[in-house]
Amino acid sequence: MIPIEYWLILSSLLLVVGIYGVMTRKNAIVVLMSIEIMLNAANINLVAFSSYYSSLHPALGTDATGQAFALFSIAIAAAEVAVGLAILLSVYRRYQTIDVDKINILRW
Amino acid sequence: MDVLQYAWLIPVFPFIAFILIALIPKRTLGWEDGWGYAIAGAGGALVLSFLVIWEVLNGHTLTEDAPRTTWLIIGDYQVTFGIWIDQLAALMLLVVSIVGTLVVVYSGGYMHEEGETRRRYYAEIMLFISVMYGLVIADNYLQMFIFWELVGLCSYLLIGFWYQKPSAASAAKRAFIVTRVGDIMFMAGIILLFKYVGNLDFAVLFDINSGAPGAPTVPSDILILSTALIFGGAIGKSAQFPLHEWLPDAMEGPTTVSALIHAATMVKAGVYLTARTYPLLVQTPESLLFVAVIGGVTALIAASCALAANDIKRVLAYSTISQLGYMILGLGAGGYLVYHLQDPNGYTAATFHMMNHAFFKALLFLCAGSVIHAVGTNDMRLMGGLRKHMKITSTTMLIGALAIAGVPPLSGFWSKDEVLAAVYHAGDLDPTFLLLWVLGIVTAFMTAFYMFRMWFMTFAGEARSTYHAHESPKIMTIPLIILAGLAITSGFALLAGDGFKAFMEVPIEEHVIAGHESTIDIAVEIFTDPLTYVSLVLAIVGILLAYRMYYMPGFDRSVFGRGTAGTLQRALENRWYISRFYDDFAYKVWYGFSLVCDAFDRRVIDGAVNGFSYLGANTGGVIRKAQSGNVQRYASLIIVGIVILLALLLFVVPWGGW
Repeated sequence: MIPIEYWLILSSLLLVVGIYGVMTRKNAIVVLMSIEIMLNAANINLVAFSSYYSSLHPALGTDATGQAFALFSIAIAAAEVAVGLAILLSVYRRYQTIDVDKINILRW
Repeated sequence: MDVLQYAWLIPVFPFIAFILIALIPKRTLGWEDGWGYAIAGAGGALVLSFLVIWEVLNGHTLTEDAPRTTWLIIGDYQVTFGIWIDQLAALMLLVVSIVGTLVVVYSGGYMHEEGETRRRYYAEIMLFISVMYGLVIADNYLQMFIFWELVGLCSYLLIGFWYQKPSAASAAKRAFIVTRVGDIMFMAGIILLFKYVGNLDFAVLFDINSGAPGAPTVPSDILILSTALIFGGAIGKSAQFPLHEWLPDAMEGPTTVSALIHAATMVKAGVYLTARTYPLLVQTPESLLFVAVIGGVTALIAASCALAANDIKRVLAYSTISQLGYMILGLGAGGYLVYHLQDPNGYTAATFHMMNHAFFKALLFLCAGSVIHAVGTNDMRLMGGLRKHMKITSTTMLIGALAIAGVPPLSGFWSKDEVLAAVYHAGDLDPTFLLLWVLGIVTAFMTAFYMFRMWFMTFAGEARSTYHAHESPKIMTIPLIILAGLAITSGFALLAGDGFKAFMEVPIEEHVIAGHESTIDIAVEIFTDPLTYVSLVLAIVGILLAYRMYYMPGFDRSVFGRGTAGTLQRALENRWYISRFYDDFAYKVWYGFSLVCDAFDRRVIDGAVNGFSYLGANTGGVIRKAQSGNVQRYASLIIVGIVILLALLLFVVPWGGW
């Protein structure tokens, strides 16, 4: 079995990659993809801790709460991406761009 | 059917006329832009008033058990509207209904050339008469105060009727503001009573300190203060010294309005209030002395100002103030007599004078209006010789002048004599009244002089300017003739039937005092009293002096331009400088104080408020820059924030967990 630390390092790396993407990329679709990466880092954590918890308490049998949570999260993320892309589409129709630096009308 | 129960309908008639004249379409206004409706409103009130007066003459009154309607409920206290018909109210109803109706009739001729503004005129006149009726029949001080203020409002509107003239506009404002000083005293007085009694109904207040079961008690110093304050309202409304200067200025309105204000409505309200407050006043001799002194001083000062006035209406205005001073003096002295001797003569004399004055003063004003209508100016120096052109006006005005001068058997003689006799008798109780009696006698002399000065300057001699005088139309002369008849005969009310004194009961709860002398005794008493002849001789001397100075040729009037006489003449022409003093006071002292208040308001109070708003606005202006609209910056800030929170949890907060 792969130790929990490896999973945590993986998820941290994914999170940092996602943050980097969100903060630096101009293309809104790439930003959205980066958010998905950050979300999946969290999903990995859920599954990893769930499995780790089961290994600590073998008497309780296999606990699947974390996995179920991750599945929920993935489903919701799919819906969220659909909404996000729809917003981006209508933004593009209106402004002919999806550069996040240019889309700043919601301000003072 | 008991007519008294329906007395509340009296003000309703003119009020309906007011609504109709003000609101109906122009082509349905009929005669003279609403004159017909005004006649109908005033006439309806006149008829109902006479029915009510007839009931009162037959000995019925409606006071404490009159119908009431609840207006407001505040806690345990109910603010009610009701009616209070006693002899005093009936007397006022008589005055207001007769004078009001005749003035409205007369207006049909006098205001004929005013065109469309007559609609406003008739609407305001109707409202004026209506609220005056409301004031007269009020059964509590709050109701009275409401109508009191409405009377003030209406006189403001009517004095400023020709508001395009700056002088009329400022006279209206002056009348409103100066009487407001009195109104505030009146309000303070009734608030004081309310604080101690918890009620403003006459039925409750007039029982104060009577000792009857359930009667409220008020400490005597509080009662003195409150009666003096209520009388302060009368000082403002009845133009008593030192608040008398608004009334001569109020001559800027149409003459009909002046007649109404002086004879029936506005200034009589103050006298009426003082008489109405009698059950309280007679418990406070200190206030009564104050009342009498104000009245006596006013009578003299106003009469002296009338000596030198050249505007025919101003002469009459000062004469009104002076006669009002007589009434107030009579009420003060009469209260003293009631307090010490249970003698009602002063009260009856003052109310009697109020009635007689209403008739002859309305007559004089309407005559003056007729003259002004014919000549087109108020200045008596430009008149003269009008007797030949205006026979009816000159004769009726002569009757009015004889009546006010106190020549028997015209009305002014009886009541003025009664007032002076009452003041003289009060002199036995307090020597101050003897001094006031001297003032009254001197005033009587001056009155005779200035009235005949006015009459001679206007009607006698030769014309001093070119005018095309003509007698006024019948619609104006008939009211004059009716009023002249009343000015001659109303004095006989003292002797007719049981006599005025028996009718006019002093409204004091535990022992209603009425005169018990027979009318023959009264007549004998008047004509055997040497004081009667003193005032009569002074009046005749005044008339003869005026005849010598203003009718007979050869009198050198230039002595009034020189030396002591000249100084006095200038002082009188400048109204003893009282008006100028008020102006200076207002311009210098009060305006300076206002500037300080203004600066304080602008700099300190507004400054603080504005400072806070600038602070808020500027802070917001800085902070809103954070809302850049750049989502990546938001994300960065969120992440930085999370890192800081985590760092705090890990390294700083002691219960951080790890």
